Amino acid sequence: MAGLFTALNAGKTALSVNQKSIEIIGNNISNVNTEGYSRQSASLSPYPSMNFGSFFVGQGVVVSNVERDHDVFVNNMLQEKSVEFGLQDGQTRALSELERIFTISEENISTEINRYFDSWQELSANPSGLVERDIVIQRGELLAEKFHLTIDDLTKVKDNINDSIVSKIDDVNSKMAEIAELNDRIFTIEIQGQTANGSRDRRDILARELATSLGAKTYEDNKGMLAVILPNGLPLVQGVMAMEIEAVPNGSELDLELHAGGTTKPLDINSLGGEFEGLVHIRDQFIPSIKDDLDRLAYEIIEAVNTAHAAGAGLDTPATSRNFFTPNPAPAPPGDPWEDAARNIAVALTDSNHVAAAAFPTPPATVSPGDNRNALIISNLGEQNIINGVDTFGAYYGKVTAQVGIESNMNQLALGGAEDAMVQLQNLRDGLSGVSLEEEMISLIQFQRGFESSAKFLSTVDEMMASLMQLKR
Amino acid sequence: MKATEGTTYRMLQTNLDRVTNRLQDLRQEGATGIKLSKPSDDPSAIRPVLTTRTQIMHTERYLETMGITLDKMQSTDGHLEHVENILQRVKEITINAINGAMSDEDMTIFADEVAQMKQEMLDAANAQVDGKYIFAGYEENVIPFVRNPNYNPDPLVPVPPPYDPADSTTWPYLYNGTPNPFELEITPGEQLESNITGNDLFLGVSNTNWVDSTTPAAGQPEADRIDIFSVLERTEEALRARNIDDATGPGGGLQAKLDELELAANQNRRLRSQLGNRASRVDAAMLHQEDVKIDLEQILSRYQDADAIETFNEIVKQETAFQAALNITSKVSKISILDYF
Repeated sequence: MAGLFTALNAGKTALSVNQKSIEIIGNNISNVNTEGYSRQSASLSPYPSMNFGSFFVGQGVVVSNVERDHDVFVNNMLQEKSVEFGLQDGQTRALSELERIFTISEENISTEINRYFDSWQELSANPSGLVERDIVIQRGELLAEKFHLTIDDLTKVKDNINDSIVSKIDDVNSKMAEIAELNDRIFTIEIQGQTANGSRDRRDILARELATSLGAKTYEDNKGMLAVILPNGLPLVQGVMAMEIEAVPNGSELDLELHAGGTTKPLDINSLGGEFEGLVHIRDQFIPSIKDDLDRLAYEIIEAVNTAHAAGAGLDTPATSRNFFTPNPAPAPPGDPWEDAARNIAVALTDSNHVAAAAFPTPPATVSPGDNRNALIISNLGEQNIINGVDTFGAYYGKVTAQVGIESNMNQLALGGAEDAMVQLQNLRDGLSGVSLEEEMISLIQFQRGFESSAKFLSTVDEMMASLMQLKR
Repeated sequence: MKATEGTTYRMLQTNLDRVTNRLQDLRQEGATGIKLSKPSDDPSAIRPVLTTRTQIMHTERYLETMGITLDKMQSTDGHLEHVENILQRVKEITINAINGAMSDEDMTIFADEVAQMKQEMLDAANAQVDGKYIFAGYEENVIPFVRNPNYNPDPLVPVPPPYDPADSTTWPYLYNGTPNPFELEITPGEQLESNITGNDLFLGVSNTNWVDSTTPAAGQPEADRIDIFSVLERTEEALRARNIDDATGPGGGLQAKLDELELAANQNRRLRSQLGNRASRVDAAMLHQEDVKIDLEQILSRYQDADAIETFNEIVKQETAFQAALNITSKVSKISILDYF
């Protein structure tokens, strides 16, 4: 009889193990579309066998562990690629906005420069015409306006970048806090010998998201806790402690600070990675260099036109040397002389009679209305290689635009590459850890059959016991 | 490794995204006809495109300037022809007066006619185009030729100083313009004089010698040059005094005037042909600039315009790929292991 009871017990374990397995399969199927979910499976092992006479006979089956299909290598690769993807993705929107500002359609700064010098050429054909003189002043004002608009647009892009940094910070902070919480939970669960599969999946996802936004690196310590650090080694999460990033407005700028256990550390571009690095790179490096080029262009136009304009004379007597544009105020050293020129450029003339189309007369001679010599000189400035002796104004603008184009082009290529790599790695991860419906369905049959046969086995044992019972009547 | 739902649908999604993005770009290209719409489309083409656009703008301006210049030159030429006719007529009168046995009345009529011609000459010299005096140099709004109030034809009267061919302030008409021909840029770096100054044409004083109406011009009289107004004025005086060949008498004698009239006519013809040469230079430059413009537009087109046939071919190709991708997607969703349970 004792043997039959043992068999009954073995059948019972088989029933519950198959049932458990089917539960796990059900859970897998439920999470077929869950991002970051790793397929779980029960690992089964036989019950310790018993010495039965001269044989060892098994005592049934037990679920020794529920494991997730997981590959550290692929996971790490994904996390590393996420940094590159975030870096490029962070720049894309700002760059496409910059491309709109530095357009190559018919309306751009280069066109305005051409129109301005063209208005001088027009004036040279009719130097006494007041209309032509007014047009020169208006074209100058439009050119200045175009510079202002472009600089305003650049400032707006910077502001938008700051806004998106601020909006991302809360998200990043809450993710760091969640990782700290998960660290705690995983530690508490796993110290009891269980595996915290779901929590680990969630933590992997959070780590990947932090890699995308901050370029964060992670490593697991011996307690199973995930340490998260910035690319330069500053800690974001240590054990169950999460740090906090704060955006501190500094004038019109926005600085990032890390509050790490009582101390505050400033975060510059070198300490960031991923999306934040991309945003800060555009904001602090690319846009300022573009702005510097624009300032240089505006400054060279102001200087060249003013020099030529002051050498001529308007229609009023006595002949007076005047600047056409307001000269750029000298910045405090060590600033370049062209600092903020694109923002400051403005036409100084108001009276169309003051437009110096004529050569400066030798006193006591006065200016003749038909004198167009200076207009010819100024209209020619647009064709001379004034900037560094190699670029005309229009070509210099072309160079600036090409810089934006190259940066954006590289970004598109790199982003495409990073996206492809991400897709491949995600496919690889899903191939290893993902849920395949086919696989689950087949396992379902497998364990259903297991369950059915255990039930059959139990009814067989039951019949055997009944037979035994009938022996004595 | 296994193919999971996730990988299958991600693959389909990525491919559909890729094809639709490419299709969008191509459709934009096909709809606008421009392949260079953002700086990142072809950064290396930006500079040539901008430079070429600048050049096209310049060329259009040159063409416009040259058109105006040519108009001015043509109307100037009309006035020069008139000057030629006047000088011709005065010469005929002078020859008539020398050869024929003319009565005093006839000579007076001749003198009156020459006075008339002189007035016509003055009108031609003060001609305007577009409200501006064309023979006034830069002083286009000041009447260039006026009667000299101090003109004294009689060498025996000392004050005001009598007529002296070497002193431009004693000539019968004074020039109030400037000695600057009007220059226009017709091609890059090439400036062309579009008119003739009054001092050059009528007074026979080259631009470098002329200062102003109150300062005697240097180096007068110049070789082969003559003040046309003096010739007409003194011919009239000679006719009135019936002075045929007395070189020291009033007007210097009609015989001498005949040579001077020829000199004056030559001076006019020489400048007229110079102007004609410049006009034909402008004509040639206009043709050249029009060719240049076409060339430039070709260059611009090569950089920024899409090849329509290529674009449409590519669109068809991508549409096929798109259809294939959609087809596969629908097939994937049709087949499922669940149908076999």
